[in-house]
Amino acid sequence: MERQDHDSPSAQVDIEVTINGERFRNRVPARLLLSDFIRDVAGLTGTHVGCEHGVCGACTVIVDGDAARSCSLLAVQVDGCTIRTVEDLATDGGLCPMQQAFHENLALQCGFCTPGFLMTLESVDPQDFADADDLFALLSGHLCRCTGYQNIIKAVASVWNEAIEPHGGRFQS
Amino acid sequence: MAVEEIPQISPIIRHRTSHLGRAVPRREDRSALLGQSQYVADIRLPGMVEVAFVRSGEPHALIRSIDTSPAEQIEGVVKVVTAHDLDGVEQFPHFIEYNQPVDQFPLARDRVRYVGSPYAAVVAMDRYVAEDAVNLVAAATDFEPLPTVTTIDQALAEDAPLLYEGWPDNRLTTALIENPAVDRAFEEADHTFSETYTSQRQTGLPIETRGVVAALREGQLTVWTSNQSPHIARTTIALVLGVPEPEVRVIAPAMGGGFGPKCHVYPEEIVVPWLAMTLNRPVRWVEDRAEHLVSSVHARDQRHDVEIAYDDDGTIRGIRVHSIGNVGSGEIFMPGTAPTFVTGGSISGAYELPNIEIQTTCVVTNKTPSGAYRGFGIPEAALVRERIIDRVALLTGVDRVELRRRLVLREDQLPFRMPAGGIVDSGSHARSFERGLEMAEPLLTDARERYADDPDVRVGIGYANYVEPTAPTYHLTTGFWAGYDSATLRVDGDGKARVSLGLAAIGQGAETTAASVVAEALSLQPSDVTVVMGDTERSPYGLGAWGSRGAIVMSGSILMAADRLLEKARRIAAHMLEAGDEDIVQDVVLRDGFFFVEEDPDQRVGWPEVATAAWARTVDLPEGMEPGLESSGYYDPSDLEHTADEAGRLNAAATWANGTHIAIVSVRLSTGEIKIEDYVVVHDCGRMLHPGLVEGQVHGGVAQGIAGSLYEHLQYDSDTARPQFASFLEYLVPTCAEIPKLTLDHFESYAPHMPLGVKGAGEGGTIGGPAAITGAVSDALAEFGVFVTATPITPVTIRAALRPTGSGEAS
Repeated sequence: MERQDHDSPSAQVDIEVTINGERFRNRVPARLLLSDFIRDVAGLTGTHVGCEHGVCGACTVIVDGDAARSCSLLAVQVDGCTIRTVEDLATDGGLCPMQQAFHENLALQCGFCTPGFLMTLESVDPQDFADADDLFALLSGHLCRCTGYQNIIKAVASVWNEAIEPHGGRFQS
Repeated sequence: MAVEEIPQISPIIRHRTSHLGRAVPRREDRSALLGQSQYVADIRLPGMVEVAFVRSGEPHALIRSIDTSPAEQIEGVVKVVTAHDLDGVEQFPHFIEYNQPVDQFPLARDRVRYVGSPYAAVVAMDRYVAEDAVNLVAAATDFEPLPTVTTIDQALAEDAPLLYEGWPDNRLTTALIENPAVDRAFEEADHTFSETYTSQRQTGLPIETRGVVAALREGQLTVWTSNQSPHIARTTIALVLGVPEPEVRVIAPAMGGGFGPKCHVYPEEIVVPWLAMTLNRPVRWVEDRAEHLVSSVHARDQRHDVEIAYDDDGTIRGIRVHSIGNVGSGEIFMPGTAPTFVTGGSISGAYELPNIEIQTTCVVTNKTPSGAYRGFGIPEAALVRERIIDRVALLTGVDRVELRRRLVLREDQLPFRMPAGGIVDSGSHARSFERGLEMAEPLLTDARERYADDPDVRVGIGYANYVEPTAPTYHLTTGFWAGYDSATLRVDGDGKARVSLGLAAIGQGAETTAASVVAEALSLQPSDVTVVMGDTERSPYGLGAWGSRGAIVMSGSILMAADRLLEKARRIAAHMLEAGDEDIVQDVVLRDGFFFVEEDPDQRVGWPEVATAAWARTVDLPEGMEPGLESSGYYDPSDLEHTADEAGRLNAAATWANGTHIAIVSVRLSTGEIKIEDYVVVHDCGRMLHPGLVEGQVHGGVAQGIAGSLYEHLQYDSDTARPQFASFLEYLVPTCAEIPKLTLDHFESYAPHMPLGVKGAGEGGTIGGPAAITGAVSDALAEFGVFVTATPITPVTIRAALRPTGSGEAS
């Protein structure tokens, strides 16, 4: 990272980031949010901004394997990192199993919060979750205003139960 | 087709493909799941610049001066404008005669009346620079603070500071419907009782904030805006900017939720287009959440002073309600007065409560303007009504359920004229209540068993029975528009249909439903139907998505258009089948996409042949027939009234859905923690076009009802009128950890006068929450003499009510 005068709002910093397998080398303002970098510089508008203060979860992306709120990180903080966004979930144009389950269970209405939920779910291993309360704790970092969460829980439970114990199901929806 | 007739599936369609009532996959999902949907904030145009608004930090002040020069000197700032720069811009129209005129200008001119009021705008090369400049403009603004008004009592005080010079007081509107029968009831009743019920300030809070992009394109002003009523936005923008309406195009792209706040036309929807015209370059503004909380309309800030006349046997002889809405500064188009009137009109709900006198007052204060939020005054009415019933039960010792059984509407009473004029044409009011009780009983038993060994926990149950006015008049709300909507339907040469609707999609699955209705009406598959919504250039004029009207007005207008289109298609088909003989036209039927005569099903023509004749091979048309295969329907619900009679009554909705909500809660005495153990909903919206989508509406609505009962509160400091919230850390939106698994059942009482028998379903879920939950908490704490009269109910209010010195009223 090339160090410059960071006291000025116009300070520029060179960064290199890999997003969904594509490498971006850009000179960006030091104060540029990661969410704005992803949306405006990389042009990936599937990452949505709902609050810009790290509560609603709509802007969640995966940074080096962990879910992170892109509105609460600066682009310069992810210099050298590998990022995945919602655009990276589908395979060969087909929906991934969680996307498919959201579709089949009517787990989205307006769809604005959906990419954030999907990225948080993508970042974890269902084996690490003991029961529905664990799942609630994971997803309680995301606000949805349309669904009352009913069908989101149902969709996740359907995928996770199948993944862990095809004939049982510890995740009651 | 005569308008009096109810649009239904044409009888010439013999075989129903039955796309209605089935789980047709949502066509909206794929792009949303892949991150490809385009919301306003996703729009990027070449040369686009960004706008940020300068908003008042003062609740009430005169603007002495604004020095924009420091901001203009920042590199990257393109322009700074104040109200005095907006050449050619008019005030928002004043359409509602019974309201005092607010004279709202898109930017505050000389006076600000709430924290968040926009009074200047900065255009810059990017949003960061624009916000830097906003801070400089704010710092260089000289305000002269004025005394503030925050609460209803402050607004109505004799010596209250006035928000508007020229008004006699702070009443934006006031109305009293006198009823002599009520006076008699109060004279004759055994007892009377007075109480005040309060609903707190909340907001619809779509997760996508508002946003506007504007650009001049080939001489036309194109405005992308997250608005639930693009045609109304277009008319208003044209009016206020003084631009010919045909030169304005409004596009509502993918919308991240509406919930009411996006029904209004806001200052930014005027200023951003004005900037695009003035600068002749594309301009974008995206609201941030902190702005949203003070600049998008609030709602539900109401107080109800109630008097009840009742007899010893629990008979409620009469009710007087004075509903007072605190509508903030009032500077919003359309005004925020209508929900308080709707509250008054909805007090009786699903019950026979004939003697009600309703007084309505809306006061202005130095808070954010209030307006629409899903439920639109009806949840507040339910709270008042069910609290009254529980109070009378408590006073007389009559069982709460028994008292409701006496009052709830029975099928033999329908159609039932409500005291405020609504005509409840059909429904399952008593049946829904009984079904709800049946569903709740084992859940209550389980909840009590769960806590049987915990002396710190009490369990309670609460009830609400409501009617939901759906596809209502917009005339009382806007003073201008009324109640219709529209569809234009075309079958192209390949036999595929395209429908364009006046409605806007706000995320509820309207496109999926529209495709199913078109498919049903034309004997096609939903995948054969392209749906266009939310673009004034591509769809006919309509009033938009609000008031639980989509299913009704969309179905009605699609079916009217389909009927007209089928009449022509059938004549073309008859001509093709009989080589020119049109005599058989009345015998032609349509099944599985083919036209034929019942006696000779082997000889048939399909939509592609018929439509190709209409558009391209016009030599195949009957002689003299006009080419083309396109028609429109403008459906205006026939029973819907737009103005009140002399007694102040009107049937303000096309039809009335109904439902029962029952909440089972636990309350932890030591902490005041409230948990919703179970929540039962029995819902009846007539015929369900898509049960999964209806359930989705109920789920989301109930979550908002719970939110308003226990969590969400836009608090102001009552001494200074300053907001005590700036983020989701203060405004508590429930997560999946707070919303329990809901227990649902449905009835389908077809609406006798509506297309396909449908009623609306968009708002019912929100209605019962505050009523059922206040009832349940009161029941849980009955042994301590607690009777909840206000929302939100929080651990703080619970602990206060349980203190030995407490009054017993949790408020």
